[in-house]
Amino acid sequence: MESRNQILEVNNLETQFSTWEGVVHAVNGVSFNLAEGETLGIVGESGCGKSVTMLSMLRLIPSPPGRIVNGSAIFKKKDLLKINEDELSTIRGAQISLIFQDPMTFFNPVLTIGEQVIEPLQTHLNISENDARDRAIEILDLVGIPNPAERLKDYPHQFSGGMRQRAMIAMALICSPQILIADEPTTALDVTVQAQIVDLVKKLRSELGMAVIWITHDLGIVAGLVDRVIVMYAGYIVEEAPVKELYRAPGHPYTKGLLGSLPRLDANERERLASIEGIPPVLYRKASTCPFAPRCPYRIDHCFNENPKLMEISPNHKVACWVDIENRKER
Amino acid sequence: MTTYIIRRILLVPLLLLGVTIIIFGMLQFLQPAERAALYIRDIPKNPEALESVIRTYGLDKPIYIQYWNWLVGQKNPNTGEIHGGILRGDFGYSRVGAEPVIDMIKHRFPATLELAIWAIIPIIVVGVWLGIQAAINHNKFIDQFARVFSIIGYSFPAFVFGLLVLMIFYANLKWFPPGRLSNWVIAEINSGSFKTYTNLMTIDALINGRLDVLWDALRHLILPVITLSYISWATFLRITRSSMLETLNQDYMTTAKAKGISTKVAIKKHALPNALIPVVTISGFTVVSLLGGVVITETIFNFPGIGSAAANAASQLDVVTVLGFALFNGVILILANLVADILYALVDPRIRLSTN
Repeated sequence: MESRNQILEVNNLETQFSTWEGVVHAVNGVSFNLAEGETLGIVGESGCGKSVTMLSMLRLIPSPPGRIVNGSAIFKKKDLLKINEDELSTIRGAQISLIFQDPMTFFNPVLTIGEQVIEPLQTHLNISENDARDRAIEILDLVGIPNPAERLKDYPHQFSGGMRQRAMIAMALICSPQILIADEPTTALDVTVQAQIVDLVKKLRSELGMAVIWITHDLGIVAGLVDRVIVMYAGYIVEEAPVKELYRAPGHPYTKGLLGSLPRLDANERERLASIEGIPPVLYRKASTCPFAPRCPYRIDHCFNENPKLMEISPNHKVACWVDIENRKER
Repeated sequence: MTTYIIRRILLVPLLLLGVTIIIFGMLQFLQPAERAALYIRDIPKNPEALESVIRTYGLDKPIYIQYWNWLVGQKNPNTGEIHGGILRGDFGYSRVGAEPVIDMIKHRFPATLELAIWAIIPIIVVGVWLGIQAAINHNKFIDQFARVFSIIGYSFPAFVFGLLVLMIFYANLKWFPPGRLSNWVIAEINSGSFKTYTNLMTIDALINGRLDVLWDALRHLILPVITLSYISWATFLRITRSSMLETLNQDYMTTAKAKGISTKVAIKKHALPNALIPVVTISGFTVVSLLGGVVITETIFNFPGIGSAAANAASQLDVVTVLGFALFNGVILILANLVADILYALVDPRIRLSTN
C-alpha cells in the first residue's frame, strides 16, 4: 500500500464554527493521506466532524459561521485550502466529486435530472450539448438507471430514493474524477438499496480506478468496502488502521464500542446489543483531556490530565489512547 | 400541465357563481326601491309609480327569481326592452356618476389599468432585485440598508408619503402635476385631433406618434407610480430576501458548488428559480390590488381611476355602484389568480407534473 502514490495529503486541518454559545471546535487537527485507487472509510457518530472534514477540504462549509483556521490539503501539489476560488472550482466536480446523504434535498427540485447530471460536463469541459447528453445517457446506464434517455427529462421528485442516489453518483462520476467522496450515501436508503449502492460503487471504483473516501457511521458497511479506516471522535482522529486489523484488534475503546454495538449473526439472540452510554461532546475549546474519557469503560486518571495524541501501536495502526485495552494497562 | 390548466379553468365558473351569490346577497340589504337602480335610470318619487316599477322588475318576488332576473335582465312589458342583467354587461345605474355603472367602469378602468401597468414594473423589478442583493450580501451593508428601507416602507402610510411627494414635486418644484392629463391634451381629445384607441394614454400617444402627449401622460403617472412602488417594495423586498436566504441554505446549493459551478451561476441557475416561486404569488395579489383601484393613491393625486370613483360612490351611499365595482373586481381577481396559478405551474415542475 505504501508503494502507491499519495494523491491527497491532509495535514492538521482545523475547522471552527461561531455560534451564539461560543466557538465550536468541529475539526481539531485532522491529518490523513489517501493513495491512488485506495478506499478509505471514515467512521464515527453523528457530529464527530466527519462531513465537516470533507467539506472543509473543498471549502464547501457555509462561511460564516464556519471557518477553516489551520491546516493544508495537498492535492496534486496544490493546497486546496490556499488556491483561489476559480482554481478550486476547476477541481470540484471534475477531479474530486462528492455524493451526499439525502439525494432528495441535494437535487434541485426545479431542474431535470438530465440538466443537473450534465452540468459538471458543461462546467469543466468544452463539450457540445449533444455530446454531453450522450455522455449523460451512457453514465446513467452505467449506474444502472433503466431507460436513461427518457429519464433524463424527469425531475428529481419523479425518481425513487435509490434511483436518485444512482443519479447522484452518475452526476459525481460524469467527469471521471480521481477522488470520490461519499458522505453517508446510504443512510437515507433502505437496506436492500443500501447494498445495491455499495455494490455499484465497488464496481465503478475498479472500472474507473478512482480513490474513494466513504463516510459512514455504520461499521458494517465499511467491512467489505474499504482498505483502511479512520475513526473520528469529537473532531479528532482516534484510530487509524487497515480494515482487517481494525476489526481484529480495535485499539481505541470507542472503536471497540462501535464494533460491539453491531448486531452479529452468530450471537445469542437473547443477548442485548452493547451500546456506548452518552453522546459525543460539543467542544467549545480544544480538549485538554481525552474527549471520550467520560464515556470510556477503560478510563484511568491520566485520561483526565492530558488528551492523547495518535501513536503507532503496530505498523500502520495508530491509536490515540492512554490505555492498552487488550492488556488493560497504561501504555 | 394541460390537465392542470383545464382543471383550473373549470374552477373559474364555479368561483364566478360564488362571487355573484355574495354580491347579490349584499344587494338584499337594500330596500326594493333602491334596488330598482339595477334596472332603471330614474327611480320615481311617486309611491304608485314606484310600486309599478317594483312589480315590473319583480323586486318583490322570491329571492331566486330576483337572482335570475339580476343575472339575465327583465323585460319591460310596455317598451319590450330588456333592462338589467349582469350577464348582458348591465350592472345597473350609478346615481353618483349619472350613467350606467358599466360605462363608469369603461371610462375609469383604462386609467387604473395604465397606472397598474406602469407601477407593477418598478415594484417587481426593484423590489425583487433589492431582495436578492440583500440575501446574497446577508448581514452586509446592502442587507442592513434594505432592512431599514423596508421597515420604513411598512410603517410610513401611503397617504403621508403621497402627500409628501405631492408637496415637494408639485407644490414646490412644479415638476409633476396631479390628475391624468393636462387640459390641452383633454381639449385635443375632445376636438378629435388626438384619436384614442386603447384609452391607455401612453400607448395611444405612441400610436398617434405624439411624443408631447406621451411625455404629458408620463409626467402625470410618475408621482402615483412612485407612491405605489414605495408601499409595495417593502413587501417584495422582504419576501424575496427571506425566500432567497432559505434557498441559499438548501442542500442543492452545496451540490451545485461541489460540482464546480461558480457562485454567480449557482445563484442564477439554481437559487433564483426556486426563490422566485413565492414572488409569483405576491405578484398576483399585487396586480389584483392595483387593478381593483388604489383608493388612497388615486384620491391624493386626483387620478380618475376606479379606486377614486368607488370611494366617491361609497361616500355618497351609492351601493349599487359600489357593488357593481365589487363584482368587476371579483372577476379580475379570479382571472388574475388563474394566471398566477398557471405561472406557478410553469416555474415549479412539482406542481406541473403532479398527477393528483
